[in-house]
Amino acid sequence: MTALLQVKGLTKAFNSVKAVNGLDFAIEEGHCVALLGPNGAGKTTTIRMITGLLKPTAGQMRFHAAANIGDERAIIGYLPQSPAFYNWMTGLEYVVYAGRLCGLTSQMAGNRAMELLERVGLTGAAKRRIGTYSGGMKQRLGLAQALVHQPKLLVMDEPVSALDPVGRREVLELLRELKRETTVLFSTHVLHDAEDLCDDVIIIRNGQIALQGAISSIRSDHRRPIIELQLERDDRSEKWLAGYAERIRCSLSHSSEAGLIHEIQLGDGHARFTVKEVDEARQLLLEELAQARVKVRKLEAGYSSLEDLFMKVVAQ
Amino acid sequence: MNDQFDTSQLLAIIAPVLVIQLILVIIALVLCAKAEQTRGPKWMWVLIILFANIIGPIAFFIMGRRNDG
Amino acid sequence: MSTSSLIRYSVMVQKELLELVRSFKLLWVPLVFVLLGVMQPVTMFYMPLLLEKAGNMPEGSVIDIPLPTGTEVLAQTLQQFGTLGILVLVLTAMSTVSGERNSGAASLILVKPVSPFAYIGSKWTSMLLLAWGALSAGYLAAWYYTELLIGEVPAKQVIGSLLIYGLWLSFVLTMTLLFSTLLKSPAAAAFSVLGASVTLSLISGIFPKQMGWSPGALSGYAYQFVVGESFASGRFWLAAISGLFLIILALTASAALLRRSPAAE
Repeated sequence: MTALLQVKGLTKAFNSVKAVNGLDFAIEEGHCVALLGPNGAGKTTTIRMITGLLKPTAGQMRFHAAANIGDERAIIGYLPQSPAFYNWMTGLEYVVYAGRLCGLTSQMAGNRAMELLERVGLTGAAKRRIGTYSGGMKQRLGLAQALVHQPKLLVMDEPVSALDPVGRREVLELLRELKRETTVLFSTHVLHDAEDLCDDVIIIRNGQIALQGAISSIRSDHRRPIIELQLERDDRSEKWLAGYAERIRCSLSHSSEAGLIHEIQLGDGHARFTVKEVDEARQLLLEELAQARVKVRKLEAGYSSLEDLFMKVVAQ
Repeated sequence: MNDQFDTSQLLAIIAPVLVIQLILVIIALVLCAKAEQTRGPKWMWVLIILFANIIGPIAFFIMGRRNDG
Repeated sequence: MSTSSLIRYSVMVQKELLELVRSFKLLWVPLVFVLLGVMQPVTMFYMPLLLEKAGNMPEGSVIDIPLPTGTEVLAQTLQQFGTLGILVLVLTAMSTVSGERNSGAASLILVKPVSPFAYIGSKWTSMLLLAWGALSAGYLAAWYYTELLIGEVPAKQVIGSLLIYGLWLSFVLTMTLLFSTLLKSPAAAAFSVLGASVTLSLISGIFPKQMGWSPGALSGYAYQFVVGESFASGRFWLAAISGLFLIILALTASAALLRRSPAAE
């Protein structure tokens, strides 16, 4: 497996604020990679540095396939969050123009443009002015123009976040097909989109990598057994829960050695225990509950989801 | 020289000027009608184009439309 | 420049020209110049009549306004181009780069393997084609009407002054391009360019000896050339060369600015 893009120590400072601070990651050829993070984490800045639109303050990016091309922009296709075109052009004219700027002859660009517009479902609107396109149509046109030169790496910034549900679904379907043909890197703040489409994920927070790796291995590595407990909202039960949580927190902060219960999260009438081992913890909990005659509504044992991990990583 | 003036000669000389002005007004009106968004109400621009002589159409061309194209 | 970048440049110029056509600029800007050009000789020709019709002169008073010579009328036409004409050209060109950068259209183009110089160059080429086209159309129309109504003007003087004046316009428009790359606001760019060019011509007019070498003096040389006045040709050539030099410098600076930050933040 070769890395298509190797990023080392990528940093961007605006004045003294470091929007991106020392990112190290690699994008494997043929993989679909999500750059995941909350708003303001530095996703757009990172993407723009990769596309060459922004000069990094420090760090380096190595495109392996670009070694014999010279200009790495020739192997990148870029789709910004809300792409802007020339409203006076037609969709077809724009894709042809994009193709010619990438070095295709006018005939090649014409053929390729028709093919791509059909693929993104814009054949009917190909000869209409872009000014009349809807948001979803513009996004699909953006995909078509990004793919015109058959890029090795397709880079997208929040490709679906500005779209309505219908547009979202259309674009996600397209991406599902595209990731089979080329390497894809896209940023998103929606875990679900990353989980849905990607092989690898890079979670960034405050301009730094919080966690990265293959989604499947992250899922298994960070899976924790949990027990979820839901109680009736009577006084007695609520009092018990508050007291029990207090006791556990005390023992957690006092004893250095981790007990059966690693963590407790309290919600409205429910609690969530991250535990060392489900069976023992369940037994312990059931005994406590019976003893205190608490009215249990639900007790569920399971594993933490990627969503939990994401929330935890991002909230730190 | 003043004696040579007559109306038909004047018309022949002025006609091209009027024709060009008319073309400018027509282009401006057509673009105004086709524009999706104008800066300020359309009827205002129509009045400006029609009555502000040469300046009207020019003003519309330069700043009338929000979206170029 | 390799052939592939030349092809890209020409593709971009074609796009700019198509934009001029679709936005009707290629039609209306030259028409405005023709109108300006025709109006000057026509107004001069009818001035005595107009004064007579409108004037409250006592009966029998002789109106004695000497009709200007043909060359004087053409010089006045150039002055018209210098005010309203330049205003129109600068205002149509003020957002060429900043508009595309602000909307984000520029970043979609500049991530493709095109050089910033080709991008700036294509905008410059189309801008200058429009300006020279409009100037020539307007000036030739003025010449035709002047010969028809007022008097002859030698072709050599017309063409010479057209070339000198065209260089001045090119200079002003190149500065517009630079400021459009430098500043986000189109209005600020237009304001800076118009202010700077007025100041430059004024200073060059007031101190011909000290500032005669500056491009700001070019419009003055064009007026002098068309009326057939002799002028210091050494200083003129200096002005022409400094104008060309500054044009190249401004283009290079614009491309460098664009390379440094291809898109507005």
